[in-house]
Amino acid sequence: MNLLEGIFVKPFQDMFGAPDFLIQVLWEGLVSGTLYALIALGFVLIYKSSRIFNFAQGIMVVFAALTLVGLHERGLPAWVALPLTLVVMLILAVAIERVVLRPLVNQPDIILFMATIGITLFLIGFGEIVFGGENKAMITSQLGIPTGSLEFEPFGGFVSIEQRDLTTVVGAIVLVVALLVFLNRSKMGRAIRALGDDHQAALSVGISLSTIWVLVWFIAGIIALATGIAWGSRAGVSFALEVIAYKALPVLMLGGLESVTGAIVGGLMIGVAEKLFEIYWGQPLLGGNTETWFAYVVALMVLLFRPQGLFGEKIIERV
Amino acid sequence: MRNLIKTTLLSAAIAAAPLALAGAAWAQDTLSLPNLSYRTGPFAATGIPLMNGQRDYMLMLNERDGGVNGVLLGYEECETGYNTEKGVECYEKTKATGIVTQPWSTGITLQVLPKSNVDKIPILAPGYGFSAMQDGKTFQWAYNPPASYWDGASMILQNISGGNLDSLKGKKIAFLHLDHPFGKEPIPLFQAMAEKHGFSFLPIPVGLSEMQNQSAQWLQIRREKPDFVVMWGWGAMNAGAITEAVKTKYPMNQFVGIWWSSLDGDLKLVGEEGKGYRSISWSFPNSQSPVMQDVKKYVVDAGKSMINKDAGEFEWVFYQRGILISAMLVEGIKAAQANFNTKVINAEQLRWGLENLKFDDASIKSLGLEGMIPPFSTSCANHTGHSGGWMLEWDGSKFVKASDLLQADRAAIDPLVTSEAAKYAAANAPWPVSTECKM
Amino acid sequence: MLYRIAGQYKTSYAADHALFPVRQDAYLLGFILVMAFVVFPMTASEFAFRALLIPVLIYSLAALGLNILTGYAGQLSLGTGAFMGVGAYACYKIVTIFPELNLVVAIALSGFFSAAVGVAFGLPSLRIKGFYLAIATLAAQFFLVWLFQKWSWLYNHSSSAAIQVPNIDMFGITVAGPTARAITQYYFVLCVVCAVTIFAINITRGRIGRIWKSVRDMDIAAELVGINLMKAKLTAFFVSSYIVGVAGALFVFLWRGAAEANLFEIPLSFRVLFIAIIGGLGSIMGNYLGAILIVALPVVLSTVPAALGVPIASATAEHLNIMIVGALIITFLILEPHGLAQLWATIREKFILWPFPH
Repeated sequence: MNLLEGIFVKPFQDMFGAPDFLIQVLWEGLVSGTLYALIALGFVLIYKSSRIFNFAQGIMVVFAALTLVGLHERGLPAWVALPLTLVVMLILAVAIERVVLRPLVNQPDIILFMATIGITLFLIGFGEIVFGGENKAMITSQLGIPTGSLEFEPFGGFVSIEQRDLTTVVGAIVLVVALLVFLNRSKMGRAIRALGDDHQAALSVGISLSTIWVLVWFIAGIIALATGIAWGSRAGVSFALEVIAYKALPVLMLGGLESVTGAIVGGLMIGVAEKLFEIYWGQPLLGGNTETWFAYVVALMVLLFRPQGLFGEKIIERV
Repeated sequence: MRNLIKTTLLSAAIAAAPLALAGAAWAQDTLSLPNLSYRTGPFAATGIPLMNGQRDYMLMLNERDGGVNGVLLGYEECETGYNTEKGVECYEKTKATGIVTQPWSTGITLQVLPKSNVDKIPILAPGYGFSAMQDGKTFQWAYNPPASYWDGASMILQNISGGNLDSLKGKKIAFLHLDHPFGKEPIPLFQAMAEKHGFSFLPIPVGLSEMQNQSAQWLQIRREKPDFVVMWGWGAMNAGAITEAVKTKYPMNQFVGIWWSSLDGDLKLVGEEGKGYRSISWSFPNSQSPVMQDVKKYVVDAGKSMINKDAGEFEWVFYQRGILISAMLVEGIKAAQANFNTKVINAEQLRWGLENLKFDDASIKSLGLEGMIPPFSTSCANHTGHSGGWMLEWDGSKFVKASDLLQADRAAIDPLVTSEAAKYAAANAPWPVSTECKM
Repeated sequence: MLYRIAGQYKTSYAADHALFPVRQDAYLLGFILVMAFVVFPMTASEFAFRALLIPVLIYSLAALGLNILTGYAGQLSLGTGAFMGVGAYACYKIVTIFPELNLVVAIALSGFFSAAVGVAFGLPSLRIKGFYLAIATLAAQFFLVWLFQKWSWLYNHSSSAAIQVPNIDMFGITVAGPTARAITQYYFVLCVVCAVTIFAINITRGRIGRIWKSVRDMDIAAELVGINLMKAKLTAFFVSSYIVGVAGALFVFLWRGAAEANLFEIPLSFRVLFIAIIGGLGSIMGNYLGAILIVALPVVLSTVPAALGVPIASATAEHLNIMIVGALIITFLILEPHGLAQLWATIREKFILWPFPH
């Protein structure tokens, strides 16, 4: 009886008993959701255009952030370090396309997936040799990101909203809108989508596979950099950030591997849901730390009813 | 081909293993002192300054005095990345020549501990490992001077209660810890104390994958409004917790960490806003002490150190704690050399040395470590020594001493040590318990 | 020359599909077994046992389990580490509850626990495919590791939340625990691995194995010819998780001696997956080759700088090591996407035809 009450009554009493706290929880969920969505977006772009499940997206986040901070540490001002980091990400994209992807064209999915894990390991070793393993502070203020916090007092409580979290959300929205415009309006963007629809048809009308792949990986690199700045400004930049890639995978399951909308909606949903569950159910009833698996279990449930995810393309199979 | 690969690889490996040892063949008068370090991985941030300190003290002695009593100190690192599997591999690799094991992680300690009895190599785990290792009769080969985690927990409680634990009655203490053997270590003691003194105790685990994003944990803290938050953090978790604490506006003066949560680099991330954060510590940096000046002269200024000078690592609590850790090991070596009247001691002799560490006021002064470590001494029955510790406080740019020397509540800890040690021995029967030690 | 097949006539279909269609294959296997059972134990140092031989065998076994699921039945799983954990924790509970039980029996029983858990998490495979299934198995990975941490009954409420292997005797010889000798443990592991390998070879060559392969190649087609997909997929999950669970029990009891929950985290799963893929999906032998490459090579590599006398900090060596392993994986995937087993098959073909080029 106590257990039932703990599951069905008490959490809701808590929620409505302290609405300011609930708002804070929702906001925190929304911010992490934004970040999950960003990482998932990187996955989706690459998967859409090349059917590669890019496990290295997580390490690209770390690598981009480390490059930015590392360049700044070597004495470059932020406004030089930032474009230079983009150049590094472009070089990385070209290198990955040349060295890894091109020889592996037409291999089974799982082989390409493994290759991206190989890239992950390589980048971990490379990054640690070049930049060292210690935790570094993100150059938040040098990049012009405000650091204070806004405070509201609704319902007699208090809600504090970090300005940098706000910047993250706004930045993510701008990035996503820009990306959507690019994908839907520009010639290159349409080429990417064409490649996603049908490789051979796209090739036959003169779309260059290798250019598009470099472009897609570069865009994924830009997204990685944005994610890295956002996460890094919260907790510093170190290789421990790599694990956030795992948080994006259930988002992909939920939203569907090919859907940009799915990545965004799925990310936000999972961010908010796992925070709510952890605070109101996980911590009182299960000893906490449920965030590691909650998203996966939810995604699994959804998949049982919709095997292609919420927004994925319907899988039609023929013999 | 199948056998080809297998045999070439294996024979290469088998050939390479002794070769590796031969390649690094120590001259007759060098002691092999391996350190299972971690300069990579999510815990590297906290590992690096400690390893640098350990290394630099040994280098300094080699440069200044030509080692100890004419024997060079062969400090060598084996990289584990805080990974238990790598740690055990390193242990196997170094045990042939090494006379000590410094496992550097509670997880690796747990794995190596049962083997130490068989391989007869002492484990030196200063300020970490199993708290029950204090019981030298049960854990004959393991040493955790100068203070155990339970000591640390007890000292923290004393300090936050103002010396009278009963004043904590009705208060709520949240225990933010890494969900790992290390973080769980002090829970039994906290629970016993909570029962005895009537405060409520709330463990809040932080998973390894959540170290950098603790918003759920800090929301819980905000909801529960604990009177104190005690942190058992390591690696990237410390920085994550401190930034979240600033964000949640949790009062810094109610936030206390164990000695592994006092990395200057983590606090520098928040700077002024971290003011008031406290951490218990059995060491204190004193850059003016003769030893530190010698390290500066012989190692740092000579360009042999690996420290990050720009970040001011030389002044850091962790770097100088690393120096102290090596000092303990070297004192153990000296004691063994004197007792057995031999220069090149072996692992068993070092064990005796570690059992007879004497850090009294006079020897601390003569070593040039004034103000850096409280006095303590070990014995065959007590492998910890119980130096006690100071509460350090972050003043916005560095840690300062914020209390007199605190001592742990022995009456509360010792029975727990005895029962945990007995439990360990029973679970691992047949477990040899020392009969020689009459203390 | 070595592989001359002249004089080996096949007169029946069965002979053509024998385990060793070429006599030399049998000789080769015999040679390897002699090496494994006689030569290595006599020559290996304790370090070689503990850092090379035993881990290679245990990882091969885990990869073999995964390979049955992924390589034969075509279901990609990223939860191997957690299933190994189930085997290890089950074995620990069995051994502590029934201390008199023979360790072989305990390990064999613990496999059933992980098999049951594997089947439970295999259920979604009936509806989900490909990468979606792979991510779904990650749910098992994260949930089970969380459970290992939270459910203190699993580790007998020990304050360190770790399981510690006690000394276990079998017929008067200590086989597990701190006082066990490396050579005993090696033989123990070797015997278990051999037994499971024989079982795996037989099951994959038989009816069940063929059903799995047909499901892997195209499940809808398989269903149309009358194969019960549910049964096929779930038996694959069962057998695979059983072997993985046994590997997990060996991993902790015969090698590591102690374990905490995060030992079974995702890097372990990936490591096993690497072995299976680099070795060759759908091959039994590949697992051994893959394990040698992935497990033993880094150990050997890390001794190279010291052996050559190159002064290199151990941290840098470790970074280089990670980089090299990453690069090697990519290189191998590019050179031979079907794994080392395929590489060997090509070489063997060449040997048979030698000295003719084609």
